[in-house]
Order: sequence, then C-alpha cells, then structure tokens
Amino acid sequence: MNPYVLTTLILSLGLGTTLTFASSHWLLAWMGLEINTMAIIPLMAQQHHPRATEATTKYFLTQATAAAMILFASTMNAWTMGDWNINQISHPLATTTVTLALALKIGLAPMHFWLPEVLQGLSLTTGLVLSTWQKLAPFALILQISQNTNPALLTTLGVMSALVGGWGGLNQTQLRKLLAYSSIAHLGWMIIILQFMPALTLLNLTIYITMTSTMFLSLKIMASTKINSLALAWPKTPTLTTLIMLSLLSLGGLPPLTGFMPKWLILQELTKQDLPITATIMAMSALLSLFFYLRLCYTTTLTTFPNTNNTTSPWRLKSTQITLPLTITIILTLMLLPITPAITTMF
Amino acid sequence: MTPVHFSFSSAFTLGLMGLAFHRTHLLSALLCLEGMMLSLYIALSLWCLQLEATMFSAAPMLLLAFSACEASAGLALLVATARTHGTDHLQNLNLLQC
Repeated sequence: MNPYVLTTLILSLGLGTTLTFASSHWLLAWMGLEINTMAIIPLMAQQHHPRATEATTKYFLTQATAAAMILFASTMNAWTMGDWNINQISHPLATTTVTLALALKIGLAPMHFWLPEVLQGLSLTTGLVLSTWQKLAPFALILQISQNTNPALLTTLGVMSALVGGWGGLNQTQLRKLLAYSSIAHLGWMIIILQFMPALTLLNLTIYITMTSTMFLSLKIMASTKINSLALAWPKTPTLTTLIMLSLLSLGGLPPLTGFMPKWLILQELTKQDLPITATIMAMSALLSLFFYLRLCYTTTLTTFPNTNNTTSPWRLKSTQITLPLTITIILTLMLLPITPAITTMF
Repeated sequence: MTPVHFSFSSAFTLGLMGLAFHRTHLLSALLCLEGMMLSLYIALSLWCLQLEATMFSAAPMLLLAFSACEASAGLALLVATARTHGTDHLQNLNLLQC
C-alpha cells in the first residue's frame, strides 16, 4: 500500500478514537466511531483474496448497523429528554438500545457471531489492531453510560459472553478464531463488573489488551495461524515457545501470572456485592476457556514433532522483525501480579 | 409520541428489520442501511427545526456527509465482493465459517 495512504489511514484510526474519547456529545462520539470504521476497512481489504473481502464486508455491515443504532437511540433520547450529553442519557429504551449497539460493536455474546469470522479473514497485524485499538472507543462510551444502563441486561450480556467464549473455543483449530473466542470471554468479564466498579473494567481492558498483543505479536513472529503449525515452533524458537506457553496460561488466568489479577479482583468484588451465584458461574466459565488454552500449551510445548531431527535447535537465520513491542508486552503479561496494589491505585 | 416521532422511528425500525431479516443480496442490505441513515437525517433536521436550535443546524449535514462516505465504502465492498465471489448473494459469503 502507498505509504501516504497508509499514514493517512493510521492517523484517521487515531483521530476516530481520540474524537470519541474527547466528546461529550453523542453526534461527535458517533462521528469518531464512523471514522474508526472507515479507516480500518482499507487496511482489512488490502489483500485482495476472497477471505479478506468477505471479512471486510461482514465487519462493515455490523459496524455500520451498530453506529446507526447508537445515533438512533441518542436521537430518540434527545426527542424525549432534550439532551445530547453522553453521560446524561436517561430514557430506558434509549439506554438499552445503546448498550445493545455497543455490545454489537465490540462483539458481546448474543451479537458475537461476526467476531471469529472477521478475525479469521484478517492478517495478524490487522487482527491485532481490530482486537485492541478498535475496542477502546466503544469502551469509552460504555464506561460513560454505565451508570444509566439496565443492570439485568449487563449481567446477562456478561455471563453469556463468558460462557459462549468458553464453549465456542473448544472445537477450534484456528488460532485467530481461538483468540476471537478468548476476546469474547474476556469482554464478558469486563461487562459483568461494569455496574459495580467501572475502574475494574478499565483495568481488565488494559490487561486484556496487553495479553492479546503478546499473543498476536508472537504468532506474527512465528507466522503461524493454526495449532499444528504451533507444534513446529519448538525447534524454531525455543525461548519464544516457552514464553508463549506462559502467556497462554496468563490469558487463562492462572495465579502467578498477570491474567489472574483482573479475575481475582472481579470475583472479590462480586462476592462483596453479595452475588455468589454470578461469581461461581463466571469462575466456572473461566475453566472452559482454560481448557482450550491448555490444549494450545500442550501442542506448543509438551509434544515433540515426529521427525528424525534430534538436535535441540536447527540452524536458522536471525529474524529481522522488530521484537521490542513483543518484549515489553511479554514482560507485562507475565510479571504484573506482584505489584497488584500499585496497579489498583492507578485505576 | 407525536406523528413525526412515530414516522421516523418506524422508518428506522423498518430499515433495521430489513437489514436483519432480508438477507439475500448485499445491495439490499446497503439500501436498508441508507434508508436508516436518511430517517436519522430527517429526525435530526426536524429536531433542530422544532427546537429552533441554530447551533445544531450543521448536524444533519455532517450526518449526510458521513452516510455518503459509508454508502460509498459499502458500494466499494460490493464491487470487491462481486469480483472475488462472483456474486452479491450474502449466502455466498461462507468461506470463514467453521
């Protein structure tokens, strides 16, 4: 792609998210979301193969529908209540519609069907942008309207997302689809705590973005998109393979790693709010997700590929890819749990 | 609910229902999206006419500009889909399901 065009598109991506962050008026927030969608569409469709085109079409249809629903709900709110402020939206029909539209935008459970298919059709870099940067603008709106939304709706969305994210990933062999289902499950955890403690939603979003960046960047270095190509990774990059195993366990939320922190704090807050049944369902749904992370760990590190090559690692060229972002995110993914008190004071 | 209110919300809802349930051609989906945006345009312009909010009178134009961009992106995707899949039937977009 032409470097000028690429620069314009990346700057527009930044502009859209910034506009949504900075606005208090629904129309400006909607314009930010639209700029975001318009800017990523050429990046998604730049390879001309049928899968990329199909993923772009599906992404465009869902995002355009969600954006139109957001603007419709805010217009209804302005007609009945006379107010365009984002955090003043108060008509119950309008708040429900906006919540459902934002759930469609980020891919929460009853509206999640586009996310695995779209992510499967993209390159790993664009998939990284889609599952990290594109989540920020909708989450800014969700956090601003969180005090006015229906609590039962939020709980339903959260529990369904965590369960569907766990169930859906069980039968997948494609890594990008697995990451999409893991994204759905993590979003469920973020939404379930939204009405009680929005700061924890933000904390969970930050940590999820760090962990999923680690996964996408390391998969990009190994250029693998299927589980069976991960099984070849051990003779190729032994260090990275070990770190990938630990990052997967961190995504699953096992204790000495970072991924345990948001789950711990969320379960603690749910118990404090006297919701033991919700907390139990969420903890059990984390087991479903943990199963497919563990299966990935098993094929990545615990199996040896059946070939005759008995050397520990074969001769190979030094990789020319930039590894600095991966280094930073991998450290954050693995080692943040001991400084949990310092991090909770930041949010 | 005033007649104006009813008319634009039912227009939007009809567009949304068409987009959600009439899934044969990509072109009809794009037309439904365009209908939704036009009903929103009517809603916004009538809102600022009724409340005489002159500060807000640029908003329908902004909405129209953005919906034109969206429609052109949709048509470009229609062309791209026709070139890669050979048709604009939505049921042919099934390469990524498994």
